[in-house]
This record gives sequence, C-alpha cells and structure tokens, in this order.
Amino acid sequence: MKTIQKIAGLLLISLFTIGTLSAQGYKVGDAATDFKLKGVDNKMVSLENHKDAKGFIVIFTCNHCPYSIAYEDRIIALDKKYSPLGYPVVAINPNDPALEPKDSFELMIKRAKEKGFTFPYLFDDGQKIFPQYGATKTPHVFILKKEGAKNIVKYIGAIDDNYKNAADVSKKYVEDAVDALLANREVEVKTTVAIGCSIKVKK
Amino acid sequence: MKSLITPYNFLLFTLTLFSFTVNGQQSNSTTVNPGSIADPVIKVVDYGGLIPVYTKQNDTLYVVNFWATWCRPCVEELPHFMAVDGKYRGNKKYKMILVSLDDAEKANGTVKNFAKRLKLDVDHYLLDDIKKMNEWIPSVDKSWSGSIPATLFIKNGKSLQFVENSLSMDELESIIKLHL
Repeated sequence: MKTIQKIAGLLLISLFTIGTLSAQGYKVGDAATDFKLKGVDNKMVSLENHKDAKGFIVIFTCNHCPYSIAYEDRIIALDKKYSPLGYPVVAINPNDPALEPKDSFELMIKRAKEKGFTFPYLFDDGQKIFPQYGATKTPHVFILKKEGAKNIVKYIGAIDDNYKNAADVSKKYVEDAVDALLANREVEVKTTVAIGCSIKVKK
Repeated sequence: MKSLITPYNFLLFTLTLFSFTVNGQQSNSTTVNPGSIADPVIKVVDYGGLIPVYTKQNDTLYVVNFWATWCRPCVEELPHFMAVDGKYRGNKKYKMILVSLDDAEKANGTVKNFAKRLKLDVDHYLLDDIKKMNEWIPSVDKSWSGSIPATLFIKNGKSLQFVENSLSMDELESIIKLHL
C-alpha cells in the first residue's frame, strides 16, 4: 500500500515538473512573439505597428492585484520617460475575468481612464500570449529590443526593488536595463524576481 | 471576502474539526495552543529570522505555505491545508507553517483576523523583507518566479519539493505522504 502511495506521489510530482517546464516561456536572448490584442481604445495593437520604436517595455499587469496597483504610477512614469526615447510601455492584462471579475475588459477601460494611462493597455483575450512569454504573475516585465525583424528579450522581472514605497527604491531594474540598451551597453541585471499575483487561469 | 463563507468551506472546517476528534491527536506546536485560535500570534520576521524556523536538523517534514490575505487562490486553498494538517499534526515528524507576505503593519490587524476567522491553527509568520525579494525568493527555491500561493516541503534543511501553484487536498496529502 505504501509503495502504491509513493508511486502515486512520484507521478504527481512529475506532473508538476512537466507543468513547470512547459510554463517556462522566454529566456533572455530569445525572440519574443508579436501579438494582435485589443486595447482599451478598442483598437488592435501589435508590436509591428510601432515602426519608430527601438524596443518595448512589455508589462503583464492587471486591475485587481495590489502589486500592480502599487506600480501604476511608476508604469505611467516609465512610459512618459522612455516612449519618446523609443521604448514605449505596452501593458497586457493576462487574467481570465471569469476568475477575477475586476480584470474584465470594461473595468480595464475604466481603470485606464481613471489613471490616465499613456500607453496601450491590452487584453490577452483567450490567454494565448502570456504563456508564450512565460509570464507567471502581475506585474511581470519583459523588455524587448528590436534587432532586425525580431524583438529580442533583454530583461525579465520586476520594475524595481520596492513595490511598497517608490521613495525608498534602491534598484531601478527596468530603468537600468533600458538605459543600458539605449547606450548600446549590455544589460547588467538581466533577470530579477519579486512577489506578484498569480495569473488567473482555469484549471 | 463574503465568498469565503460558503457551504463548501464550512464543510471543510467541520471535517477538519471532526478529524481532530477522531484522531484524538495533540498538536506539537509550541507557539500556538491547539484548539485555541482566539488570539493567533503573527510573528513578523525578515528572511534571516524565518530560515531557522524550518531548517532544523530534526527529521521533521516542514510544509511551508507562502500566502497573503489579498491573494484569492491562496485563501481558497487554505481550508485544504487546514484539513490535511488536521490529519497529520499528531505526527511529531511533521509540521505546517504559514508565511504571510502581507504588509508588516497588517500583522496584528488583517492577517490576525483572517487567521482567527478561517481557523488557521498553525504557526504564523509574516515575512517582512521587501527590498531583498530578489535574494530570498531564489533562496527559497531557484525555480520560484515569485507568484503565490507557493509551498515548500523541506526536511533537515534540504528542500524536497516546491510547488508554485495551488494544491488540492489530495495533491497536498500525497506530497506529504511521499516525504514523511
């Protein structure tokens, strides 16, 4: 009996491992997929539409998550600073609104208006895009740099090292990475991790 | 918050209490009085303070669940954790710990009230080490991207399993059985 339990347990664990592996998504250096997603202005947005961009600050974020909310003003500031320099913010809500009603498209429109989002806020309808990137939580940042026809992943992780208090940030991971890319330097810190809200997907 | 008090959850709590009675087991918890969760203690620690709690060389399987009161899937899986804990807490080689990632100032308010209301009768810690997330998250498990819920299974300071996802009652119990 005990053996059967152990075998069952091992099977279960291997299932988890397979699940984790398939959810790995991009690594730094990979070419990121383009997408065609609807924004809060009801227009479809793709990376290829941004002819003048040098790259993108793609941020998986949402309405409901306290970490996302804590970063809203900083995401607006990132777009205001880096969009004119060729690195606009593209925000994508990856959550299934059936599981998190606060993340519905209608409420995305409302939130974008309330906060005055300066960047596209897109809905990953059908949840096809976030798994390809390997986003696991909100907020989760992927900085892409245009290299020829490709968008190469240069940084994956957090915005900075203090979600709670913008005035007490010591490491501005995203700004440092984009600054390096703009100066044609290697990004020093290529990946970081921070606590975030898990992306809501039906099991 | 209202959605937490569902007939389903109520049933789980009842089952949990029932299993306490059937097993007639006593908690080996030292900081929380078994059966009495009138005033749960939420100990606020940094990562350096948390590590010794579950890395003891005592052949005990520590089930360490990272959660937060604002995290819906975390709160939804906690009744499963309590039900399973009810079955195993009499085993001296087993111990469950909850680590809240809420803001530290919520330890004695929101978090304590949650623990009380959901009858989370295990040892509670609140990990307050925001600026070092990029250090302690990979230290807990190098595969952890930082989403919660997440659960670490660890014995004698050696990590046996890490799950960055919700666990059903069956999943949780089979992992515990495997490592006990």
